[in-house]
Amino acid sequence: MIQPQTYLNVADNSGARELMCIRIIGASNRRYAYIGDIIVAVIKKAVPNTPFERSEVIRAVIVRTCKELKRSNGIIIKYDDNAAVVIDKEGNPKGTRIFCAIARELRQLNFTKIVSLAPEVL
Amino acid sequence: MLALLRARCASNFHTLLQPWKLGFSSLSTTINIDGGVSKCVLDLQEIEKVLTDVKADDVKVIPVPEHCDWADYMVLATGRSTWHVKNIAQALIYKAKQKQKGVERMMLPSVEGSEGGKWIVIDSGKVIVHALDEKARAYYNLENLWTHGSIQHESTEDLQKVLVKVRRKNNSKKPAQKNA
Repeated sequence: MIQPQTYLNVADNSGARELMCIRIIGASNRRYAYIGDIIVAVIKKAVPNTPFERSEVIRAVIVRTCKELKRSNGIIIKYDDNAAVVIDKEGNPKGTRIFCAIARELRQLNFTKIVSLAPEVL
Repeated sequence: MLALLRARCASNFHTLLQPWKLGFSSLSTTINIDGGVSKCVLDLQEIEKVLTDVKADDVKVIPVPEHCDWADYMVLATGRSTWHVKNIAQALIYKAKQKQKGVERMMLPSVEGSEGGKWIVIDSGKVIVHALDEKARAYYNLENLWTHGSIQHESTEDLQKVLVKVRRKNNSKKPAQKNA
């Protein structure tokens, strides 16, 4: 359940460290975002000497949430933290590698690029 | 359940592109659908033939490592320009349409990133085709990722380094005998 003002970790090597959600893209008055949703975020911390800087506005896809993701066959997936992957407007990831196991729902939501970069698919 | 509903809405949204994903909501149905997909969506040989026909450079077929069960083969192809990359994607969709002429419900592969033209993914079930720009191919370096699959090994090595206890360096200028 990501809402504006939520802090998220970054799950790729793009150079950002920490994001803050400022808007959820989709409906006009959406309250929460879950795995596979696109958010607008601000970079709160960045690794030095990378293309990103602090207080830059970017788009990101949520890949891990503390809120559990339920499948219709009874499997529940939940992570210890909230994390996102930085993308550009066309949907290409900014980083070249992704560091966490990713739910296969992302493939159905048309994020095959992120899934194919991930080391493991749940 | 919410996520699944939303997944369905999203796929409804792109119905023209990937009608075969509509029933993709649970694992039990995936098995059934995969059986159907193998009949309808493109084979590896066909994909290779199409890619040579549109003169895609540097085509590489990579069998996916065992820990990824979501696909069997990755096909990489380079286009010379964004138009060329888009044409590769269109040729593959055209081939899929030609193959299923006269079928009541056509199943088309899903396409991602077709408006940008730097990296287009054509996801036809078990075979996934990545058409990339030259720059994007060098940037993402996908061959390295899938051929070695060494990400996990690297991370465990790093972990071992972190976990090893290191004795603190003695920076004090006093002679060592006093400490002992």
